[in-house]
Amino acid sequence: MKKLWQIRELSTVAILVVEILFFTWWLWPEAGRSHPFLNAGNGVLILKYSAIYGIAAIGAAIVIISGGIDLAPGAVMALAGVIGADLFVTKGWGLTTSMSVGVLIGLLSGLLSAGLIVLARLPPFIATLGVMGITRGAAFIITEGQYFDVSSRLIGGWRPLGLPADWVAPIIMLGLALVFQVLMTTFQWGRAVFSVGGNETAALFSGIAVNRVKMSVYAIAGALAGVSGVVLVLVQGQGKADLANGYELDIIASAVVGGASLAGGRGSVMGAVLGTLIFGVLRNALPQIQGATFYDRLIVGLVVIVIVVMDQLLLKKRA
Amino acid sequence: MAIPAGLEFRNVSKSFGAVRALRGVSLGVRPGEAHALVGENGAGKSTLLKILAGIVQPDAGEILWEGTRMHLGSPREALERGIGMVYQEMLCFPNLSVTGNIFAGRELTGPGGTLRHAAMRARTQTLLGELHLTISPDAEAESLSAAHRQLLQVARALAFECHILVLDEPTTSLTDAEADHLFAVLEKLKARGVTLLYVSHRLPEVFRLCDRISVLRDGMHVETCDRRGVTSEHIVRSMVGRELPPRAADVSVPSSTVVLQVDRLTRRPCFRDVSLSVHAGEIVGLFGLVGAGRSELLETIFGLYQADSGQVRLDGVPVRADSPRHAARAGIALVPEERQRQGLCFNLTVRHNLVLPDRIVKGDMLVHTARERREAQDLVSRWRIKAAGVEVPPESLSGGNQQKVVLAKWLATSPRVLLLDEPTKGVDVGAKFEIHEIVRREAAGGAACLVVSSDLPEVLALAHRIIVMREGRVQGEIPGAGATEEAVMHLATADLRDAS
Repeated sequence: MKKLWQIRELSTVAILVVEILFFTWWLWPEAGRSHPFLNAGNGVLILKYSAIYGIAAIGAAIVIISGGIDLAPGAVMALAGVIGADLFVTKGWGLTTSMSVGVLIGLLSGLLSAGLIVLARLPPFIATLGVMGITRGAAFIITEGQYFDVSSRLIGGWRPLGLPADWVAPIIMLGLALVFQVLMTTFQWGRAVFSVGGNETAALFSGIAVNRVKMSVYAIAGALAGVSGVVLVLVQGQGKADLANGYELDIIASAVVGGASLAGGRGSVMGAVLGTLIFGVLRNALPQIQGATFYDRLIVGLVVIVIVVMDQLLLKKRA
Repeated sequence: MAIPAGLEFRNVSKSFGAVRALRGVSLGVRPGEAHALVGENGAGKSTLLKILAGIVQPDAGEILWEGTRMHLGSPREALERGIGMVYQEMLCFPNLSVTGNIFAGRELTGPGGTLRHAAMRARTQTLLGELHLTISPDAEAESLSAAHRQLLQVARALAFECHILVLDEPTTSLTDAEADHLFAVLEKLKARGVTLLYVSHRLPEVFRLCDRISVLRDGMHVETCDRRGVTSEHIVRSMVGRELPPRAADVSVPSSTVVLQVDRLTRRPCFRDVSLSVHAGEIVGLFGLVGAGRSELLETIFGLYQADSGQVRLDGVPVRADSPRHAARAGIALVPEERQRQGLCFNLTVRHNLVLPDRIVKGDMLVHTARERREAQDLVSRWRIKAAGVEVPPESLSGGNQQKVVLAKWLATSPRVLLLDEPTKGVDVGAKFEIHEIVRREAAGGAACLVVSSDLPEVLALAHRIIVMREGRVQGEIPGAGATEEAVMHLATADLRDAS
């Protein structure tokens, strides 16, 4: 059995808890006022905005564990988002159908990356860099610079399955995280992803269908980026081509902070989601601190470095 | 030692985890002599060299040069002490020119750190002349032959003041003529007063070049003897330290049922028209020099590559293995040559590694942790794998035990055909005999075993039948019982000798 301190996700949880405690203390209000950070409403808000990154980060973690990298999720989010929004707003399609097409577009983008990597044998960095350009470009071509106002077409008080609209994104993220965590840990497919990431040649020599595993990994990452894009459009209430600009790096950073090793073979889906929460809390709390506005990117960068360095020191200690 | 030693190792010890690679080795090398270091794989030769090169730090002991202690904390310090290394695996920068390779990391620089291209090129020209090499200083290393790349390393070692030149199996991938050239160069260096430390398991070379021979076994220094007054039989006994176990041919008798049948299998440019058969319970040795196409043949049977033509049949039924997955499901297992690169996933535990092929053969969807643990523990105890449990990473195991994990993970699939590529490469003598025993037991259980090995005594000890390949073709077949090293070697090299 694994000892408690050997479970990698626990250190990510610990960081998250310390972070929440810190901001609770720092933003403690004057007597009589409500706490600006520690309240239920703000909690849902953090979860909602984190989900935009978190869903794609699940895919990013799986790709990174398989020994690859995906630079496309930001652009794929934009393409999936604008296509979903276009169908919903201008073509008058139903919400579910429009958004499903958006997710499908994400899946196709992922399959394009997969094809370039597995069939054309391009390095993942190059293949997904190309797909990033193609999908971002397609988003601009389709929208011709205009934006789709999704919020005005959503009926006021939209309550899918009787739930508050704000809960939708967090529930999708946690549901998908659970599904993929289970796929990665209790299914032979997940074991194959870890094997390919750890040693692709040995995986091939052990009879693993390496190409099929790689195809599946990029397809999943694409589909999940599609879901993220659709969620982003719904959360922001509008679809435009420059959505999620630069998100790919935040998504990769979340996966890495959650324990994924860019060398492949290590990481977890839950860790990646926790990683996005660490950044989600930062993005939520920093603007509330006076004078911190200009520091938030700097602080996010420092946090990535500090957490990864700490992780490596811990890894050495465990070994 | 009465004569003052130039280079002296004093009580050098080194352990890697549980493996004691060197146990208090003391030996002296006289200045200006050519000194051979011999021993079986795993005897500790490479570790000793790595310590001398500053790559590995000893746990205990010291190294002296002309009586003063040397601190060798890094490869750079070793170079500065005048210790030049020529490695077996031919380290070079294929993307750099000959000059670039020679000066890599130690470039001659002018004011402001600018590179002095002309000076380096001129120095390279002189060095190449001294070594009688007719290559251009501007040629890219990539374009050089194996022999020239080997000699390039010698040049690199000599580019700076070097009084000890260490060579680790430098002739492994050289032809006889190329090796002759290397020896001529080494003789000249010796005459110039350079001390040579020569590591090889090819005794004829050792006797040809070296003045004295030191034998290592299981990490210990056994003896140092003068070339004159010692026979190669004596050295071999000293290296092995015990009698070899009985040959497989005396142990079990193969059945008459053909399990694996290869018909005119061709994959250009690696091998052509290869036909062979392996019976149930039979161990067939596949011998040949590096580049004979043996590994490629096994990998093609295993579905890693597609054959251009020809057929593989298993129990009389053609198998169309287009991937290792299909081959494994058909009952073919391959224990690959390089366990680090091809055999094990180092991010996974020993348990995960052990059950991987069996799960793929069975096509399981779900992971059953409890069942896996049981099976892995069974395998560990059945094949006597020394590990601190099944939940440890493979890197905590010794080379021999890692190799047993690779073997065990395939035996768990109960293969009909067991293909083994250099199954005892880089493992210690004890593990080697255990691996031989495992292969014999599998054969006795009815598996058809095809063993590729460059270790001739191993092939002779293990095989019922020996097939010799040369330059991609089957050159002949010898029954294991009556085979001699000379007969096998003759088949493997005949043309090469005729040509020279």
